[in-house]
Amino acid sequence: MLARSVGFALATAGLCLVIGYPVAYYIARFGGRYKHALIALVVVPFFVNYLVRTYAWVALLADEGLVNGVVTDIGVRDEGIRFLNTSWAVIGGLVYGYLAFMILPIYAALDRMDPALIEAGKDLYGTRWNTFRHVTMPATFQGVLAGAVLVFLPAVGDFVSAQLLGGPGTYMIGNLIQQQFLAAENWPFGAALTAVLMSFLAIWMVLYLRSAARAARETTA
Amino acid sequence: MSSPPKDFDRPRFLPAFTALFFVFLFAPIALVALFSFNSTRSLQNFQGFSLQWYERFFDNESLRESLIASIEIAFVTMVVSTVLGTMLAFGLVRARTRWAGSANVLMLIPLVTPEIVAAVSALILFTQIGWRLSLETIMIAHITFSISYVTVVVRARLAAVNPEVEQAALDLGATRWGTLRLVTIPELWPAILAAGLLVFALSFDDFVISFFTTGESPQPLPVRIYSAIRFGVTPTINAIGTLMLAVSAVLIGLAIALPRLLGRRESGLGVLVGREAA
Repeated sequence: MLARSVGFALATAGLCLVIGYPVAYYIARFGGRYKHALIALVVVPFFVNYLVRTYAWVALLADEGLVNGVVTDIGVRDEGIRFLNTSWAVIGGLVYGYLAFMILPIYAALDRMDPALIEAGKDLYGTRWNTFRHVTMPATFQGVLAGAVLVFLPAVGDFVSAQLLGGPGTYMIGNLIQQQFLAAENWPFGAALTAVLMSFLAIWMVLYLRSAARAARETTA
Repeated sequence: MSSPPKDFDRPRFLPAFTALFFVFLFAPIALVALFSFNSTRSLQNFQGFSLQWYERFFDNESLRESLIASIEIAFVTMVVSTVLGTMLAFGLVRARTRWAGSANVLMLIPLVTPEIVAAVSALILFTQIGWRLSLETIMIAHITFSISYVTVVVRARLAAVNPEVEQAALDLGATRWGTLRLVTIPELWPAILAAGLLVFALSFDDFVISFFTTGESPQPLPVRIYSAIRFGVTPTINAIGTLMLAVSAVLIGLAIALPRLLGRRESGLGVLVGREAA
């Protein structure tokens, strides 16, 4: 259960990075005078209730939902596709839920970075890829790390996505904790699970804070 | 930035990717809002405009009570945590004790604790001291996590206030209270306002902590939504979701617009975005 939770959370953080980095990059580098408006657009949906956002996906992906309606209408398949109750639905819900936590720190890091560095990489005959790998990526590493931690921590403990988009086969540790307290009435076990979760997350938190502190020292030194 | 965009590091896929991303971000929410006005139960075909799902929501007395409960909780949380959080910010910025460092770390812990851990802790605490679960227990649990948000926002602003201005007021014969009221608080006002609205939105939207600390009835709206979704997808949920969306939108709008109306550019959105990135 803990392994699945961590796996889902890692996949979520990975997907958030793959989706979030290009978006943050585009907005920070080429947003121009719309930069602030675009980043505000990224944030706005995250003030919509998390349940409602997850529910939106339930409505879209349900067997009788909108996506399956389109699929059967245009005749891709006679039967709809089963989306709900799969791991991918749960991970998708988590990605949709926590994406902003990845984009904002990366955006902040890119925004702070001097664009002349990229120009220099180009002037020194670096290819696009090499410039990105050796200049942009190291410069924004702390932002990526902060984003990964901000997505990973809440995702591990989440139970809403697994409850609504998944099923018993995809339950995470949050679902188990919730059951102990609100259904099984086994509070000591629930408390023990919570303590395990908290200590596990505390390790990551401390590692991250040390890395951030080291980076801060290096930039001021 | 002022430098003109160069094509060098702008692969063609980037704008398209970003556009797709925004579709992915907004389409589900837009569809929820659209289908809340559907005249039939269908979630596949939009068959005409109607307000029947909203009528059904407002005709349902227990759902109405839930809405009022949610607003009450959010309001009390906003007032109490804004006062306490602002005081804490003063303590952290102004008091020069050797405990300030540890207090800073302690203050940040609620922001990085997974919600379920905070929720379980609150539930165990209330049960152990024998406090019956009710609206008050939800309020207390919400205030606990909200204080940190207020403190983070207000502290940033307070640290930027020039202490010499307060010094000048004191030199000119103002009392300490007068200085606070006439000099410091006006300076902090946009941050306090933004923090209060932010906390209202967080409390109004909170599900996990409410879910664990709620009593039998009335339950806050998100808890009701959760139970409803578990029984299946119905257009009434679309209507509730859209209503909550409208409340959030108004709050964000206020948080952005009010500081500007008060004549400051830097607060509002910056404060909110900064809080997410903190």
